[in-house]
Amino acid sequence: MPTAGLKTIIALSFVLALGFLLVILSCALYSKYHPLLVVATYVLAPVPNWICSHCANPDDFVESSGAAILDLGRFCTGFLVVMGIALPVVLAHSGIITTAAAVMSVVGGLLIYGTIVSFATFFQEEQEF
Amino acid sequence: MSSEERLFRFGKPAWLSSVQTRNAGVYLAGGLFSLAFYILLDSAVWSASPRNASHLHVNFVDWLPFIFSSLGMLIINSVEKSRLASDSFSYSGSGVAWKARVVLFLGFAALAGGMAGGVTVFVLKFVVPGVGMPALGMGVENVVANALVGVSTVVLWVSQNMEDEYAYNLAL
Repeated sequence: MPTAGLKTIIALSFVLALGFLLVILSCALYSKYHPLLVVATYVLAPVPNWICSHCANPDDFVESSGAAILDLGRFCTGFLVVMGIALPVVLAHSGIITTAAAVMSVVGGLLIYGTIVSFATFFQEEQEF
Repeated sequence: MSSEERLFRFGKPAWLSSVQTRNAGVYLAGGLFSLAFYILLDSAVWSASPRNASHLHVNFVDWLPFIFSSLGMLIINSVEKSRLASDSFSYSGSGVAWKARVVLFLGFAALAGGMAGGVTVFVLKFVVPGVGMPALGMGVENVVANALVGVSTVVLWVSQNMEDEYAYNLAL
């Protein structure tokens, strides 16, 4: 997608701002600042994948140890993504935050993570060209 | 892997051994393990919250089956899969397949022991004293969490075996 550069960036930043707005609203409306952890989770989610992809050579099919560390990164990323959804649900189930705040922080977190993932894919495609 | 050599009448679909399916399987395994951990954490947080009106609380005994399940998962997925099949690796000494099978047995024993421990905690702590539903949920969550660790192990194992077949196809 080399042609849709500027519009994509504008749309992505708009969605990112919307996600942050939802998460901060879910905290500030009820003055319970636990859902801010969702933002930290989703920002940290691509980090294991990124680190492990620098540690291994994925083209090396003879030694399977390179694939193992890539798998570890993917496993940790999957863990963190589900953690971003599960954390507000756990907090809401115990009555620490309200259900509305949990829904808002889950939706906002998914918007933030979607922005990060789509930005990473666009950036990778630009790198390949 | 030509079509004449296969055993069953229905062939394996092509998407089953692709790299994307395998990576999605590893992500799914991580997500399932996360789900298991947060289900158990939910029982612990709910136990300490004011919503828990019963005298029952989650303590270390409830976490012990999950610790054993996770340890079993770690052991099972640390074993190099290609060492299980044959003993013909000349550089790795004799009896490597046997050793790998012993380690794998320990891993599966820890996993099954964790699941059995989850059921044990559920029965001895919640069912036998006749605990009612909102507090009974803590025991149910324990069983579900240990079962999810098992499912996650299976998904990760199958995905990694998929990768071996993929590498084999490339090597030929």
